[in-house]
Amino acid sequence: MNPKMFAASTLLLLAIALATWQVQRQPKPIPLTPTISGETEYCQTCHADLPEISASHPVQAFGCIICHGGERLALQADLAHSSMRGGGNPSSFDVVQASCGGSECHSGDPTSQRDHIQRVNTSLQSTYAGAIANIRFTFGAQPDLTARQGIYAIEDDPATSHTGIMSLSAFAPEQESNPALLTFARNCLTCHLSSDPLPGLAYARLSGCAACHTPTADTDLTQPLHRLTTAIPYSQCNTCHNRGNYDLRLMEFTPRSDHPVDRLGDYYQPIAQFVRCEWTLDCLDCHTRLEAMGDGDLYNNQKEIQYVQCRTCHGTLEELPITLRISDPEDIAMRMAFLNPVIDLKIGDVVIVTERGERLWNTRQLTDGTYELYGKASGQRFTFRPVMEIGCLQDVEQQESQYCHACHAVER
Amino acid sequence: MPRLPRGGAMNKVSRRGFLALVNRVILAISGLMGMAGLWRFLSYAPQPVNPVEFDLGPASDYPPGSRTVVHQARAILIHTPSGFSALSTICPHLGCEVIEIESQYRCPCHGSRFNLLGEVIQGPAGESLRPLRVQEMNDGTLVLYTH
Repeated sequence: MNPKMFAASTLLLLAIALATWQVQRQPKPIPLTPTISGETEYCQTCHADLPEISASHPVQAFGCIICHGGERLALQADLAHSSMRGGGNPSSFDVVQASCGGSECHSGDPTSQRDHIQRVNTSLQSTYAGAIANIRFTFGAQPDLTARQGIYAIEDDPATSHTGIMSLSAFAPEQESNPALLTFARNCLTCHLSSDPLPGLAYARLSGCAACHTPTADTDLTQPLHRLTTAIPYSQCNTCHNRGNYDLRLMEFTPRSDHPVDRLGDYYQPIAQFVRCEWTLDCLDCHTRLEAMGDGDLYNNQKEIQYVQCRTCHGTLEELPITLRISDPEDIAMRMAFLNPVIDLKIGDVVIVTERGERLWNTRQLTDGTYELYGKASGQRFTFRPVMEIGCLQDVEQQESQYCHACHAVER
Repeated sequence: MPRLPRGGAMNKVSRRGFLALVNRVILAISGLMGMAGLWRFLSYAPQPVNPVEFDLGPASDYPPGSRTVVHQARAILIHTPSGFSALSTICPHLGCEVIEIESQYRCPCHGSRFNLLGEVIQGPAGESLRPLRVQEMNDGTLVLYTH
């Protein structure tokens, strides 16, 4: 017996045993063949415990790969995750078209408002065009407050533009001569949907679509829940809008100091006065999807797109709020109520609409002429009356919310 | 106590012979494990084949007028006076499974609605539910084909 032959045989057996052991250590693949792709993926081998991300995206129909990317047949985590889109956030704007786009998904028909990606890309929350224009004008880099630059370059469709702003070029700090603008670029560009959050656990938030539509765990603000929702509470808005303000003298961010304990749970700080409903409702109970996500046009500043006022729901001394009777089962109000069924909206119901025709689909006119509103996140029911029927002394020439605040601020 | 003679029965298999035997056993085990691994490798099907034929059992189990959901096939079997037919319950919009509510098929994902013939009555789906083939076999059983 040749000792070398014996050693070689033993090594061969050990090698095969080692390979067998390695194979046995791998988890047993759990296949899923989503209907939409028909291609088997093994993501659930490790992620079977994740909850459904939403009722509109069941895993049996969508699977994981179509949104997240990744290597669908890989069983090793590193390999499986190697080609994921946007890391853990497929709604990041640099990959959102591949993750969420498509004519049947979120790059659909603009006339039926299924073009979510296009709209959000033109929205002020994404372009930050108002702030950039304001600062550039203040420091002499442009002659007026018209938006010319955004966080990224973007064009609007000339045929559908109502604002007349056809395009924005990318804000390029290196081309600015005023040092204040360089400081602004360095310190003050954390307020748009593509940016990373300010450093520190207290300012953790998500970016892209997830900034609004994906809540984080209450116990850990850095951990997004596996959830997409249109039931967005005010605390989600507070992740961006209740941090503090930029100090334009110092060109740096100043955290709010009056309520440092519960920034997300506290009321929105930059507005000093609140009426009772602003105090009680969530932001999106009144503010509309076009205000928040844009309507596809490029705008100069927030004031141009944020238009809902107290009178939208309450009317004025001379006019009732605008209403619309729902007659089309595919009316966007019905779609929104289907996605977030806090209200049992039916054909024939009368809802309040804004001056731009947006349905406040969570409202309904009651038979006695009053109205009800359901909280989109809370599901809570509120009833309210039009101003015409109460003894309001409001000056008919002063109909904006600021004048309502004069009497109805929550402190009063 | 009797002592075994040196070089007795224990030496009938020499050390060299014993090692050769062990070597053969090792090689045999290695060969078997290698063959098993090769078989596993060659027979590995990363894409499981989804069934496209479903034996639904005796046709008599489905009385006239019945509409039976066949969950494993994602289909609904319909028995009308003109015979058996079937519809896919997969919504043609984005692939969710429709459910029957108030004499309509409704998609729980995006709200599409279809009548009992599978025709669209409300979008976003733009197509009807897909009709499927049902065959009654000679032995009286039904077979549903999803492709």
